[in-house]
Order: sequence, then structure tokens, then C-alpha cells
Amino acid sequence: MTTLLLAPAGITVAGLVLVPLLLVVRNSFASADAYGGIQGGWTLANYQDLMDPVYLKVFSYSLGMAALNTAVCLVLGYVVSYYLSSRSPQRQMLLLLLIIVPFWTDFLVRTFAWINLLSPGGPVNSLTDAIGFTDGATQWIPSQGASFVGLVYAFLPTAIFPIYASLRSVDHSLGEAARDLGCGWWRVHTRVLLPIARPGMLAAALLTFIPTLGVFVIPVLLGGGRDQLVGNLIVTLYTEFRNQPMGAAASVVLLLLMVASMAVFGLAARRLRRKSA
Amino acid sequence: MKHTLDTVTAWLARGVIAFLYIPIVVVVVLSFNDSEVTYKWAGFSTRWYGELSRNTELLAALRVSAETALISATLATLCGLLAAMGMARLRSRGKAVFSGGLFLPLIVPEIVLGVALLSVFGAMSADLGTQTLVLGHLVVTLPYAALIVLGAYNALDASLEEAATDLGCNAWQAFRRVTLPLLRQPLLAAWLLSFTISFGNIVMSTFTNGVGSTTLPLRVYSMLKGGLTPEINALGTILVLFTLLIILGVGLRQMRRVLLGAGRS
Repeated sequence: MTTLLLAPAGITVAGLVLVPLLLVVRNSFASADAYGGIQGGWTLANYQDLMDPVYLKVFSYSLGMAALNTAVCLVLGYVVSYYLSSRSPQRQMLLLLLIIVPFWTDFLVRTFAWINLLSPGGPVNSLTDAIGFTDGATQWIPSQGASFVGLVYAFLPTAIFPIYASLRSVDHSLGEAARDLGCGWWRVHTRVLLPIARPGMLAAALLTFIPTLGVFVIPVLLGGGRDQLVGNLIVTLYTEFRNQPMGAAASVVLLLLMVASMAVFGLAARRLRRKSA
Repeated sequence: MKHTLDTVTAWLARGVIAFLYIPIVVVVVLSFNDSEVTYKWAGFSTRWYGELSRNTELLAALRVSAETALISATLATLCGLLAAMGMARLRSRGKAVFSGGLFLPLIVPEIVLGVALLSVFGAMSADLGTQTLVLGHLVVTLPYAALIVLGAYNALDASLEEAATDLGCNAWQAFRRVTLPLLRQPLLAAWLLSFTISFGNIVMSTFTNGVGSTTLPLRVYSMLKGGLTPEINALGTILVLFTLLIILGVGLRQMRRVLLGAGRS
């Protein structure tokens, strides 16, 4: 009976997640036939090909972009979460709803919204013209900056939820007590509230850092496709170059980055627990 | 006494929340723009909604997306419900292993999951189409559906089902008459959330769609590469409205369970 109940989900996970992931790892060591398909055999050539400076640039650019995006999302996420958690319960519900709406809005809509805003002669351009910062139709897109704004916009709500989750049960008299005991504003946050928020911050970082690497829509639509993320690389290798083994190798690298960052975050979380114990 | 930095961060927070809305508001406003180009305001008009309703390519894509979302959301909710009931009978170790597997797709980058599925379909030389699309979307939606149903099922009082059995219900009757009615709300929430996730999905769809199974996001994405038109803004406005309806349907309580639950474990 139990087996029967678990079977549908179990078969889905095993057949559509675990086996496929193993196959990707295996394919990353295969050589390609003339059409870029999987020929079989065992070789490290795909990984060696990924060491090409062109691809290394993609990896370093992606890591930088993801790190920057994570940092910005964490800072803004903390500020918003602190603001949220220090409101009255009814206000918290309302504000939370306000953040859920953009979070749940279609990803593509949220991305092309920025094309509207940043297009030459568009709202942002008119504004900067009016204050004399720019003169005439300025190209805000495509650019690295536009791509970055799109990434922050896409991931900010994702970062807010876990931080808020760890802050919302905080008794706000804690901060007041610290203040009464002579803590300044900074110390109230760095000594009292940030440590409480840290598990949420770690979760937020994990939910921002790796998914950013896998994004491919934003760099194409807002960045003009010039500065690629790992996600773009994988899509290009599969759909344009039709080089499946190399695409598999790039996917495995992304998986390894995921495992590595999880190990780092896991270690940080464990140190956190030990400190508080 | 309030610190000035408190005031500064409060305003920054309000600014960030406003920042989340500016792009969405702009999409809605510009969808009523009577102009060929998005950025030049030429008066109020609903003509782009008319154009949208005559765009057969987009309508065909809408149909694919709706069908895929319908099937995969139903499968995900069903699998989630069965898994929740099965897991309640497992010992803690088996439970941990099984839920680890169930939530694995949440951690693995979606693009890798897409590539992985494509490799399997390739190895089996399966034709890419609606079936493969549905399987891909099932992988993406199952963890969310399971998260909601599992939480709701665990919160149920197990003695209710026992009482029903004591009173002469067989297992099926107890399930139909007691458990299912109690789970109606969360099951609907799981289904609606899965539906939206599938409907808006683009990464997984890129790898699992085939000829004739282009979903709405895929179609819009390829249209966007040629430039943004007021027509796409009109579509965006409809999708924003659709989001609001779903959120109302799911309810804040279920939303909180999914979105805030992830931060605690």
C-alpha cells in the first residue's frame, strides 16, 4: 500500500531527475559524432574544450555577476525584511502580499517590462533627459547594466522571503533592549538582528547565487546577448552548436558549482549552529 | 527616539517595494498606447487587445501552454497527495530520503534538469512534443505541489481518519469522506500554483518542446528578440491580471506556507 502511494512521485523523481542527471554526467565524457550527437567512449576532451579562454570568460563573468546580484539582493532583502517585520501584524500581511504579486508575475513579463522602461525615448530616458543627465535618445539597452538590473529585479523577491521568514518571529523588544543597554543603531543590527537573520540570509544567498548562473533569457533580452552567463552557454551549445557532449560538460560544471556553493553554505550554517549552541 | 538610519532604511524599503511595481505598472499603462512603438505615447486605445485576439500564432501557443499546465498541474498534485499519504507511513529515515529526492529539483538548476531530460529523450529517440513537455513540467511543478500538500497533510489530525475507520469506514471511504474534504483547500492551492509555474515556465520548455508544441513563453521570447511591441504589453497585462486571480484563489495563507516555509528548514 505504502509503496503504491509512493510510486508515482518516486518513479517521477527517479526516471525524470536522477537517471537523467546521471546520463548528463556520462555524456559529458562522451565524444561527439559528426552531427554533435553522443557517440560514446570516454574522453576528457569536452572539459578541455571548456578551458578555452572564450568559455573561461563566460564562467568568470557569470560568477562575478551572480556574486554581485547575491550581494545586492541580500542587502536590499535584509532592509525590506527588517522593515516588514517591524510593522504591525496587519501591515505585515498587506506588505507581504505586495511582494508576492511581483514575485508571482510571469518571469518574461517582468523582463520585458524593463525593455519598456529602458528603451531610447522611454520613461527612464525621458527622466534622465529632464534632469539633464542625458541628452536625447540614449541607449540604455542592451547593456551589462540593464542585464544586471533585470537580474536584481528577478531575484529580489526570492531573497526577501527566507530573510523575512527568519526575522518575522523576532521579538522587537530585543532591539529596544539592546538600544537601552547602549547599543547604537549599527550594533543593534550587527550584534542582535543580523545573527538572527543569518539562516535566512544563507538560504536567500543559495536561492539567488546558483539560479543566477543558469539564467539565459535576461542576458539575451536586456544584455543583447554579448555578455553571456553559464545558462546562455549551455543553451547555445545545445541549440546552436548542437554539441551535446560539450553542453553536458558545461552542465556538469554548473552542477559542481552548485555542490560547491552548497558545501560552503552548509559549512557556514553549521558554524552558525555551533556558535549559538 | 528614532534613529535617523531607521528612517533612512524605512524609506529605502518603501522605495524597493515601489521599484518592484514600476515595471509592472509601465507594462499595463503602455498596453493601452495607441502607437506602433511602445515608448511614444499616442493616446488611449484598446486596439492592441484586438490585435492580440487575432494573433493566431499566439493563440496556438496559448493553447499548448494551457493544455500542458492543466495536465502537469493535475499530475503533480496527484503525485504530491499520494506521496504525502505514503510518507506518513514511512519511518523517519525513509521519510528523509524520500523528501530529499522529492525536493531535489528545487536545488538543481532548472537548466541542468532540462538538459538532463533532453539527454534521456535523445537516448530513447523519443519525439519531442506535448508529451515530453508535460513530463518536463511535471519535474518542475512536483516539488511545489508536494510542499503544499505535504504540509497540509501533516497538519491533519491522524485520529480523524482512525475515528472514521472505527466507525465502520473502510480505508477508501475514510479517505473520500474525511481526508479529501479536509484537504480541498490546499489541494486547490497546490494545483493553482503548479498551473502558474508550468504556464510561465521557459527554461524547461526550451529543452522539452518540439515542433508544434511551442508554449506561450517560448513564442513571446522569440517575438521579443525582434523587438517589443504594444501587443506584447497587452499580453503582459493579461498575464498580470491572471497572476492576481491566482493569488486570490490560492490565498495568502497557502502562499506563506510555500514562500516562508523554505527559509526555516
